[in-house]
Amino acid sequence: MSEICCGLKVGQDVPDFKLDTFEPTKGDFGEISLETLKADKKWTILFFYPAAFTFV
Amino acid sequence: MGAEVITVSTDTKFVQLAWQREEKMLKDVKYPMGADPTGKLSRMFGVYDEATGLALRGTFIISPEGKLLNSEVNFYNMGRNIDELMRKFKANLHLAKHVAEGCPAKWKEEGDKTLAPSPKMVGKVYEAYEEK
Repeated sequence: MSEICCGLKVGQDVPDFKLDTFEPTKGDFGEISLETLKADKKWTILFFYPAAFTFV
Repeated sequence: MGAEVITVSTDTKFVQLAWQREEKMLKDVKYPMGADPTGKLSRMFGVYDEATGLALRGTFIISPEGKLLNSEVNFYNMGRNIDELMRKFKANLHLAKHVAEGCPAKWKEEGDKTLAPSPKMVGKVYEAYEEK
């Protein structure tokens, strides 16, 4: 079982998370964390999709 | 558009690199592509499909304070519409600056009528909405 279960609800604070990324503008790998986005006072939109090589 | 858009799937970053370079539809993509191969983030947002190991088509808007404000999940076979997303995002920007107001169903962009809930509006939403 995952330590985080069942899905956040609207109105809840999102726990900090980190993601490895591929950044097309740099052609390089990177890392993104919610902590950094909050420090930069940025809105964040997460856009989940099932799999690469399918339509979005 | 004033927000950090991050696309996320359960693929690794290596697969995302390969896809972005191979697929011509993605040649202009500028958003960071997030890799969630363990499904941890997908589970956090409730879009992880245990049966397939894939993430459902979920879109989530998080405020600069880290609060989840909008949540939308579509099944695999329905794509998302950028106009729908932009309306919600613009409404969030407006409401962050005007905390006493609400953006009604018809609100589309800055300048459209908003409503400020009050006792005198009870049962009179139509009148409040139609007055200039």
